[in-house]
Amino acid sequence: MNELFINWIANTPGYAAPYALAALGLILCERAGVLNLTAEGIMLVGALSGVGATLTMGGYPQLAIIIAMIMASLVSTLFATMTVLLRVNQVIAGLAMVFFCQGLTALLGNLFEWKNQPITGIGRIDVWPLSEIPVIGHIFFSQDLIVFLIIPIFYLVNRVLTRSMVGLRLRAVGESPEASDAAGINVTAYRFLTVMAGSALVGLAGAYISVASTKIWVDGVTAGRGWIALALVIFARWRPWRALLGALLFGAIESAMPRIAAAGIKVPQYFMLMLPYVVTLGVMIWVAWSKRGGATDEPGALGQPHVREERR
Amino acid sequence: MRSNWWLKIAAVATVAVGMMSGSAFADDAGFSLKAKPKIAIIMYGAKNDGGWTQAFEEARERMEKDLGMKIAYVENVDENAAKITPPVEKFIKKGYNIIIGTAFGYSDTFLALSKKYPDVAFLNGSGTTNGPNLQAFYGRTYESQYLCGMVAGAMSKTGKLGFVGANPYGVVNWTVNGFEMGAKLSNPKATTTAIFIGTWADPVKERAAAEALIDGGADVIGQHVDTPTPQIVAQERGVYGTGHHRDLSEFAPKATLCSSVWYWDRYLTPEIKKIMAGGWKPNPYGAFPTIKEGPTDIILNKNLVPADVVTKVMAERQALIDGKEIYAGPIVDVNGKEQVSAGKVLDDAGLWKMDWYVPGVITQK
Repeated sequence: MNELFINWIANTPGYAAPYALAALGLILCERAGVLNLTAEGIMLVGALSGVGATLTMGGYPQLAIIIAMIMASLVSTLFATMTVLLRVNQVIAGLAMVFFCQGLTALLGNLFEWKNQPITGIGRIDVWPLSEIPVIGHIFFSQDLIVFLIIPIFYLVNRVLTRSMVGLRLRAVGESPEASDAAGINVTAYRFLTVMAGSALVGLAGAYISVASTKIWVDGVTAGRGWIALALVIFARWRPWRALLGALLFGAIESAMPRIAAAGIKVPQYFMLMLPYVVTLGVMIWVAWSKRGGATDEPGALGQPHVREERR
Repeated sequence: MRSNWWLKIAAVATVAVGMMSGSAFADDAGFSLKAKPKIAIIMYGAKNDGGWTQAFEEARERMEKDLGMKIAYVENVDENAAKITPPVEKFIKKGYNIIIGTAFGYSDTFLALSKKYPDVAFLNGSGTTNGPNLQAFYGRTYESQYLCGMVAGAMSKTGKLGFVGANPYGVVNWTVNGFEMGAKLSNPKATTTAIFIGTWADPVKERAAAEALIDGGADVIGQHVDTPTPQIVAQERGVYGTGHHRDLSEFAPKATLCSSVWYWDRYLTPEIKKIMAGGWKPNPYGAFPTIKEGPTDIILNKNLVPADVVTKVMAERQALIDGKEIYAGPIVDVNGKEQVSAGKVLDDAGLWKMDWYVPGVITQK
């Protein structure tokens, strides 16, 4: 039982990582006022690029992950062009991007024969001698590279967002693009580049799934995890650290499900499978409930295209 | 005189009933093609999906040789009428008159199409609908998985086997039970812990399940899901596995002991010859061929499995071909309830609705 518990906790970060990274990328975009529904699609781009780059280079998974981030960022320029430059409805553009990426990745995966090709990927790193400490060693010092980097990444992004001039301008663009524009901030450039930066993180989440987790590409390998990341953004009310907490909660559920089954503990099958979605719904209701009265954390101009000198 | 009068009425009535059910007479003659045969396969996934659909693609290539004709195909046809109907109708317009489907979700659409095109023969893999020119087919995968279980039981050191399944319904449950019964043949103390991940292809969930099973002490991982992920995890963790759909040793040469595989051409080639011969009568309950007819079989990885185990497994395979029944009574389930009584064999209806597990299977249910 004790071992079951330790294994469960030790495996949680690996399942939480894609949720956390994708949610962080989305928070970045949405704090700049761009409602980003593309996560599921951009994660697929990251996942395919990660496997494709590893196979093409015959190894170097760390480099492949960086390539995946760049590819995700490049594909997201299509979304940024549609929403920021052409001011297309962000919901429709986002959904269209998801379907586009699903088709594109399936097509390219087939064309280059990257499908069903196992890769070595990145594995666990034991930080010796800390990894030898009972319980704590297994949980905290025997994880993969990306999991170790998550706290620094979150710290860095949060720091930039809340404690730097760039972050202040980014948030201003998301709260009131008109005022930012009047203050001399280039709203279009800020939004365009933020979408690219945020999508790089979403792509990292996708690459984590294929390069660190499954170590194989199949069509639609992300299996809806992008949508859960989207719900996490609302759960976190656009705050990075809260998103990490929410991601850990989902990771813990996903890691617990097979372990409870493997231990032969009798819990109805479909109840377990339903659990993450029940939690998603519960959290949304809780957020909507607690929002009444107090000020909302939602960026003021979320989902609104900015047109200079346009009257609303 | 009196008896003669009754006889006349009976004769008239028989003729009248016969005339009224004219279509029944036509059915008795069976289905015959009106033009020269042209075959097309509607594939559910991509032909290189590494599993279910690829098994059909490999069968298609062998069938082209055996039948001496080109067989057309279309890939990635989702399980909804709007996706299925256009390619099928396009093929029919071009003169194709034997259409082979490959998915459970094609069942209703194929039934509708078979009524609309009575001169076209329809076959559907893992389908559930049948008609005068439509026949569903599937294989008795519990036989091949039973043999995989034998191998797993023989190769396991801990006696703890794991199994990653998709959803807990008939077609998966019978493989889990078959696997465990086969394992018991090699090691009477063997148990099978089955995890159902709730989907056919999600490598993240498959990996999570396989890792949880291995952490729990399982040292052979069986599977009835669509991707080779459980085998890859087994190889990473230095334990064994048994595959499904195709020979998965290409993904995990050091782990995959054997695979339960499809040879669809072994069923389809003779069935298509029957259609071509004329007077084809589809089974009203669908075709459900055994390992003897050959669409399901086992492929052993002889680099890993010792010769004495191979000999035993092949002897049991021969016993199945000679008519041994796996679901022959008496069988009690894990709760001690009798499911198949002594001297009886579980019928097909019982197989399809199987919702119980044999002792030694550990699940959440």
